[in-house]
Amino acid sequence: MKIRFTAILLLSTFLFTAKAQDHLLIQSDYANNLFNSKQYYDAITEYKRLQFFDSTKTFNYEINYKIGECYKAGAKYDDAVKYFSFAELSARNEDEHFDSKTQIIRTNILRRTTDRALQLCDELEKDQRFNGKSDQINYWRGWAFILADNWEYAAKSFAKINSNHELKILAEQTDKAKVSVTFAKVISYILPGAGAIYSGKILSGLMSIGWNLLSGYWTVNSFIEDRVFDGVVVAELVWLRFYRGAIQNAEEFALEKNLEVSNKSLRYLQNEYKGIKP
Amino acid sequence: MKTKTNKRFIVAFFFLIVLLNTANCQLPTAGNIFSPQNRLQFGNFLYKDRDYLRAAEEFKEYLKNESNDTIVFRLANSYFKIGLFTEAVDNFKGLFFGSQLSEEARLLFYETIFFRNDYKSLRELADEKNYSSSKFAKEIERLKYMSYFFDNSALPDENLVLKNFPDTVQSRLVNFYQQKKFPQHKSPTTAAILSTFIPGAGKIYTGEVGDGITSLIATALTTYLAVTNFNADHQFRGWLFSGLAAFFYAGNIYGSAASAQIYNARIQFNFNKEVKLFFEQRNYFLPKIDY
Amino acid sequence: MTRLNIGKILSICIYLFLFSFPYNLNAQTDWVRWEGKETFYQLPATHNHDYTVDKSSFGMILLSVLRNTYYFFISDLDGDNCPFEPSCSAFFLQSVKETSIIKGTLMFADRFTRDLNFFKGMNHYALLASKKFSDPAYNYTLHSAKIKF
Repeated sequence: MKIRFTAILLLSTFLFTAKAQDHLLIQSDYANNLFNSKQYYDAITEYKRLQFFDSTKTFNYEINYKIGECYKAGAKYDDAVKYFSFAELSARNEDEHFDSKTQIIRTNILRRTTDRALQLCDELEKDQRFNGKSDQINYWRGWAFILADNWEYAAKSFAKINSNHELKILAEQTDKAKVSVTFAKVISYILPGAGAIYSGKILSGLMSIGWNLLSGYWTVNSFIEDRVFDGVVVAELVWLRFYRGAIQNAEEFALEKNLEVSNKSLRYLQNEYKGIKP
Repeated sequence: MKTKTNKRFIVAFFFLIVLLNTANCQLPTAGNIFSPQNRLQFGNFLYKDRDYLRAAEEFKEYLKNESNDTIVFRLANSYFKIGLFTEAVDNFKGLFFGSQLSEEARLLFYETIFFRNDYKSLRELADEKNYSSSKFAKEIERLKYMSYFFDNSALPDENLVLKNFPDTVQSRLVNFYQQKKFPQHKSPTTAAILSTFIPGAGKIYTGEVGDGITSLIATALTTYLAVTNFNADHQFRGWLFSGLAAFFYAGNIYGSAASAQIYNARIQFNFNKEVKLFFEQRNYFLPKIDY
Repeated sequence: MTRLNIGKILSICIYLFLFSFPYNLNAQTDWVRWEGKETFYQLPATHNHDYTVDKSSFGMILLSVLRNTYYFFISDLDGDNCPFEPSCSAFFLQSVKETSIIKGTLMFADRFTRDLNFFKGMNHYALLASKKFSDPAYNYTLHSAKIKF
């Protein structure tokens, strides 16, 4: 009796859901096609429609994950993080949980909220369920450091995966190619214009040296000729201005040079690197 | 015994079927997801979720096959919420005659024109008998007089404006009315003339005390230097400092006039901000309507 | 019927009824259609002086050349001294472009005087993200309609 009753119950439930499932699968395919053809706004509409009609929540994880990917593709990172979080909540196994969590990390990397990305990496590392996924965690940690322009730490993160990792080598090369901003400033205090030459701006550096020598000569000459007021005015309005300017330029040019170096590597990563990107 | 068991079994089975069918009716039928009814259900869900653009698209599709005033209202309201005021106005107008939501649609029609910043049209339409609402006549009248605070039209009589608003806000509105009618502006001409006689005085008049004192010092110092250099027969320096003195003097006269204009513009800007905040906090004295 | 477990049937009803509620998402703000957008990894470059020559008239070409000469020999070497945005030289060019050479010069003279004010922070200038005071030329043309805050 009980067996019959249970059988009838299961059969009716199965028949009830089977028909609906066909339509949901069709809808899911339709939404996926829109996603694949990069019509993200419409894809979100269809995923939401699927979610609304999916009364048994069968597709919940996939829908939230896909909506998150749509928002990420549209550079709407706040919304992307929200939906990846929903996906994480509706994850059915450890792999899904990990995937959604790494997507949140990747979105934070793109959003340049590095601290949050690193915090999430640390959380994943401490989670004993993902002990075997340290390579992936270090990979994304490295990317977080890259987009935060911290190539030294990026190299260290990639080194934990493999000492000959392609990105480790790239990060080390980038870090080495940079110039020291502090050094540029210090040598400019001693010889105004030297910092600019050190950063590669030779003409600017030579002109700075020229202006400082000229205004220095004018100042000294004024004092020698007892034109104290003129000397003070030239020293304040000309010599000091160009001296300060040389130091400021030394810092600026060093930072600019370092930015060029970083952007060269970032361009390579954007256009030529074949590995997984955020 | 066996017959009794079978009977119980059959009753339970039918009870189950009825229950499942009821549940089926409760649930959105996934049979044809794009059927008008399903589009409506999904549209309503999106509307409640404030996803108005998507909701509007669903309602539009639904209304291609069905006719429903509430849905037209929701469609118009969706357009209103996302700032598509022309579409909102057109759809609200469609409910003016022969609809149970006619009164509400008329109020929201005026509200849409108000938020479109088309105050002149609002005032003209407020007197249109065809568009008027008996239920919300007061609110529409209030919107009409509120609009005078937001544009540069001549203000009507104070009593005419204020009689439409509650007693609790009368003192604030009197204040706004007075500020609007008699703004505390500075005259650019006065500022320029003051600076002609005393360099910097025009800037001090417009509240820029630091700039005024700087102008005075710069003009005075360069004039003094010009005079002393001419007296010492240093012609080049004399003319150089004279030129600088003239530069600062003329610049200050011009700057004083510009400063007065900026002062007036700032008063207007702050007034507009204050008025907008005042009405926003009170939802523009409008009832909250949604269907 | 009495021998059937009513509790069992009730729990099944509740179970089926609960499945009828859709997942309640948070409010959405996709109020404008949008397309996919590529994210660029590159860091934003610092803004240097704009050496573009304004070819709208002979006067503007001449002024642009003079400005570029000033940038090259002096401004690029004496550091970032102007607390305003746009800088005084750029303000002068903008003023002349908006009005005329005479009015532009008067606007520049006024700007120079305001720059000399040690207490300019107490004035009503808006502060930009670059920590400079916003002081665009269009606010000083004596056309009140052009003034923007």
